[in-house]
Amino acid sequence: MTYTDANAVAAIVRAIEAEQNFVYAAGLAGAYLTGGAKRQVLTQLAAHQGRLQVYSQMLEPSAVPAPPPAFKPPTPITDARSARAALAQLNNSLVGINADVAAYTNDADRAFAIDGAQLCARAAVQWGAPSQAFPT
Amino acid sequence: MLRPLPHPLSRRTLVLSSSAVLGALSLGVLSACGDQDSGPEAIEIQPSAPEQPDENLLDELSLIGAYLGAIEAFPELRGTLTSIADQHSAHARELGATSEQIASVVPIAPAAARIKPVLAELIARERSAGALRAQAAQSSQESQQVRTLTFIAASESSHIPELRDVRANL
Repeated sequence: MTYTDANAVAAIVRAIEAEQNFVYAAGLAGAYLTGGAKRQVLTQLAAHQGRLQVYSQMLEPSAVPAPPPAFKPPTPITDARSARAALAQLNNSLVGINADVAAYTNDADRAFAIDGAQLCARAAVQWGAPSQAFPT
Repeated sequence: MLRPLPHPLSRRTLVLSSSAVLGALSLGVLSACGDQDSGPEAIEIQPSAPEQPDENLLDELSLIGAYLGAIEAFPELRGTLTSIADQHSAHARELGATSEQIASVVPIAPAAARIKPVLAELIARERSAGALRAQAAQSSQESQQVRTLTFIAASESSHIPELRDVRANL
């Protein structure tokens, strides 16, 4: 479905921007990770690229934000530890962003957003964040 | 900060019902005043069905009991399990539970006697809770409620890897 309601559009635009940021940060973090962690970040990177496409299809093409020329991770990624911390933080921040999309969408789109929130909260803990009652 | 949900809903229902009753009564009185020949007619008020307790709130309270029971049986798990139990208390509050209701939850003794099956049981409960909350978010008509239930569903999903970590490190 294509959304034109202002609340829905705003929530989906934020989700697209957050996913763009995640994809960039995951690529950066992947350079510092090895073994299973590297495989995991690559899998997540692909999944978030897919999510980015799905969210983009929920808007009129003119409403889809273009990727900005540069991204900035929430915290500098300089080694494996900071890479894990950034991934945990980005995943937690995506929970609320997906919850906002769920709040203003319907049917399969809402299910997609709810699923995204659950996946991100799990991933945050897998990257070392403690669980939270309302992940942020 | 998230806003509490079901109680305002219940109060609103109550207020709306009360308004309807008052409105009906006023109409009855006014029509009685305007009609000198006939006395006021009896007003039939259908008793409303008792409000059903919220399934998600009951499940949160039950989860708190399950964690309290597991902590009593295995005090060595107190750290992580208390943290998760506290999160379920926060969920219950968000769904409308009072502090008294949360404080009065009694520990539910785990079905298993050994620690790993107890953790497996908690993991299964969290999976089921996450699915229940996701289903409730999917079917809700109120955007704020959808948001809250999505947050809670996500939190409950995140307890699964945390409990698995505890189990792996035993």
